[in-house]
Amino acid sequence: MKRTLALSLVILLISTGLCLADPAETPKPPSWPDPDRLSYEEIKFSPPKPERVVLENGLTVYFLEDRELPLVNISFIVGAGSVFEPPGKEGLAEMTGDVMRTGGAGKLSGDQIDEELESLAAPVSISLGMEYGTGSLSVLKKDLNPAFKIFADIIRHPAFDEAKLEQEKNLKIEELRRVFDKPQRLAFREYKRAIYAGNPRGRLPEIASIEKMDREDLAAFHKAHFFPRNLRVAVTGDLSKQEALELIGRHFDDWDEEGDFGTVPLPKPQENAPLYYYEKKVPQSTVIIGTIGPGKESPDFYPFTVLDYILGSGGFRSRIFQEIRSNRGLAYSAGSFYDGRQGYGSFGAYAMTKSESTGQVLTLMEGILKDAQDSRFPAQDLHLAKRSIVNSYIFSFTSSHMIAFQHMILEFQGLPTKFLTEYPAKIDAVSREDVMKVAEKYLDPKRRTIFVLGDQGKFDEPLKSFGEVKRVK
Amino acid sequence: MNRSRKGLKASSFRCVTLLLLVAALFTITPGALQAYNLEDRVQRTTLENGLRVLLVERHTSPTVSLYIRHLVGAVDDGEGKTGAAHLLEHMLFKGTSTIGTKNFKEEERVLKKIRETGTALDRERMKGARADEAEVKRLAKELKELQSEAKEWVVENEIDRLYSENGAADLNASTGQDVTTYKVSLPANRIELWARIEADRMTNPVLREFYTERDVVIEERRQTYESVPSRKLMELFLATAFTASPYRRPIIGWPSDISFLAPDYLEAFFKQYHSPNNTVIAIVGDINTAKTLEMVKKYFGPIPSHELAAHHVTEEPAQSGEKRTELVAEANPYLAIGWHKPTLPSFEDYVFDVIEALLSKGRTSRLHRSIVQGKQIAEDVSAANGMPAARYPNLFMVTGTPRHPHTAEELEQAVYEEIDNLKKEPVKKQELEKIINQLRAEFIRDLSSNSGLASRLSYYEIITGDYRYMTRYIQMIEKVTPKDIMEAAKKYLVEENRTVAVLVKKEKP
Repeated sequence: MKRTLALSLVILLISTGLCLADPAETPKPPSWPDPDRLSYEEIKFSPPKPERVVLENGLTVYFLEDRELPLVNISFIVGAGSVFEPPGKEGLAEMTGDVMRTGGAGKLSGDQIDEELESLAAPVSISLGMEYGTGSLSVLKKDLNPAFKIFADIIRHPAFDEAKLEQEKNLKIEELRRVFDKPQRLAFREYKRAIYAGNPRGRLPEIASIEKMDREDLAAFHKAHFFPRNLRVAVTGDLSKQEALELIGRHFDDWDEEGDFGTVPLPKPQENAPLYYYEKKVPQSTVIIGTIGPGKESPDFYPFTVLDYILGSGGFRSRIFQEIRSNRGLAYSAGSFYDGRQGYGSFGAYAMTKSESTGQVLTLMEGILKDAQDSRFPAQDLHLAKRSIVNSYIFSFTSSHMIAFQHMILEFQGLPTKFLTEYPAKIDAVSREDVMKVAEKYLDPKRRTIFVLGDQGKFDEPLKSFGEVKRVK
Repeated sequence: MNRSRKGLKASSFRCVTLLLLVAALFTITPGALQAYNLEDRVQRTTLENGLRVLLVERHTSPTVSLYIRHLVGAVDDGEGKTGAAHLLEHMLFKGTSTIGTKNFKEEERVLKKIRETGTALDRERMKGARADEAEVKRLAKELKELQSEAKEWVVENEIDRLYSENGAADLNASTGQDVTTYKVSLPANRIELWARIEADRMTNPVLREFYTERDVVIEERRQTYESVPSRKLMELFLATAFTASPYRRPIIGWPSDISFLAPDYLEAFFKQYHSPNNTVIAIVGDINTAKTLEMVKKYFGPIPSHELAAHHVTEEPAQSGEKRTELVAEANPYLAIGWHKPTLPSFEDYVFDVIEALLSKGRTSRLHRSIVQGKQIAEDVSAANGMPAARYPNLFMVTGTPRHPHTAEELEQAVYEEIDNLKKEPVKKQELEKIINQLRAEFIRDLSSNSGLASRLSYYEIITGDYRYMTRYIQMIEKVTPKDIMEAAKKYLVEENRTVAVLVKKEKP
């Protein structure tokens, strides 16, 4: 017994000694666990729901209190966009938004507003886009009243000072002159003209249309689209609901304008369109293959979102990125985009590649789209797409203002609030058949728009091998 | 490489670094803002291996932003090896010996052969006109075959897949002149995944698919420089303004340098500069500080560090005469002007931050008021302090686009008029106060973003060695007087210290 004990002690001492042998020895790196088998605590997160109040005049307000910082953030959505521009006045919507901000409002001139807002460090911005417009104000709580007064005046009583309008027109004209210097930007602009041909969305601002604009045009556009029922406002930050409603009421209660919401025909995919070619002698081509996809309200929205992720929105593992960039080094930028809007969606696959591989890239892109239609993509792509979309969904709710804005735009687009809560489950439910069905339905080669900007003299293959070519420049 | 889901931008243009410098202006003013004392909220720890960790808790949403910065950038590339740091950043997304491979033992065999063949091919190509065409063809074919073989063992883009599948947002990396950054935002319960991936790629990265990725970078150059004349002009401008300093070299690299970058060189570069004692980590969001630190220690603690080799960086000699250059291209005119100046944390650098705001922050700024709105000779004109980066003496810049039919020359003269005003007239108190007000408000806004905070904290820690540069910033700015501004303008914004580059429109024959 004693001997065994002594032996055990010796062994113990030796092993202990071994452990402590060299204190300077680098500790072994951890065994690297399988990153796919790590376990995570479940996250339980219910984003706060904003309160919704509708004023008597129809103006809708969303409110969320957030006392983290002494800040107040206010933004609005208005049903005013370039789709409502009369022919010949392309660019009017954008110009109206720009001059609302710079051209003075209420009793203040544009310069006075600039001075005041910048002294308060309270930026105001307005941007009228294609289907709708947005505006925002960010201000320290202590300066809320004077800043909001200016913001309200800009919305209700913009002055559209002639000199400021002239300035903005000149700047826009310069911008249009310079768009030719940026090949990728130029490509997407001309692609837009092609895909929306025959629809108001395809009419783009030109120097001629900008030059013709005058103050009355802007005032009329503003009057036609800025009225209480066409405006939704989100208020979040360091204030109570009562304070928010009092502030809005004070500036908007007596606003009793009415107006027309206006309707615009939805775009349709082109049937048997030619291949659009825009010549520019640059070493790298921009290739876009696009179509009109499902709207956000359509049940196809979910499988199409997954399809787009698989094709090119899903980062490095997406088909287009993998085949064109990772496998072959033919592009730096390559992928796809999908924006589900009200009544329709905008989808496109794109790549920027040197002239000498433009044909090769076009072939690859067409092949990938066909594979989707034939359901020829790995099962893991579907799994990855669904998991990624669902797991990153939380990033749509990282700030109170983001949350309020989400609710606001949902209502504007005529969607129910449960859209937000149901989204993850609906994505999860998308099957391989669903994806194949929408690919078949929307990616029909006969109903596509192909656009190439580049220097065809240097292409590896003649463009006409891809279809009838229509040279736009 | 600066990556994001939609649209990929080259990291090479360092306005982002500049914006960080300017926008990251924080204050501890008395009274109400005391509650937002950022310094108190940051927990700073240095591990035994020298790795610095900054943690901030913020429980607004169950998400977290994680930044890793290494003090290495294009300035460390080496002559004839421009683009090395940037290509390495691309390569670090290819995985490790345990991530991205089906069987590393098998793969390693083929990778070794690829490296041998690629090296031989490069060596032959290097001979230029004297290269043996047949040999080049043979080696290129062999390389392609080996690459096909290697593909059998590769699981492509696994790091991206792992992050995406687990809900990553803003998965991104960027290489600057000074610093290389790897960042991601994740749901708050995924911190271990991040630690698992990042510690591994700081220890065992594998440079697989090297030669293909080298081609990708050449396409990146084509997209962001060769096809965009104004970007080419900026590249030319920096190469002219700096004669000796490494800031003269483009981050993405000169085309011929990129095309000969070698895996051996990049591996040595990696070992040298991605050492934990050359690295800062910042984690901001819905974390438990103690648990998070434990996780970081568990994975990053064992990474061995080594002494960083001291190396001398060529100093830019004082400029004593104006430098001018032009680029003729089929594009509208563009103007870039720069003056040499000391970098942070010298007091004069703070003065130039104020000058930058005075000249071009907002619609009421001097350049905007007088040139864009008043004379209407420019579409845009803006000032930028700290170009292209901040580790070494840098530039104060003004860039602009003239509005047709006005010329770059007119714009240039109008800019000098405003610069001269800075030298002649002391800035009014009200104007200075407006600027400080704006910087204070920006500080508060920046506190409402996990990634903004993580970015700024890690940036200042890695560049200056102390993240509190940021928390004490406004106090320094408040010390700047109208006299300081006048003196800095008189001393540095002078003709002999200035470089001008103009993009001239090519006349059609």
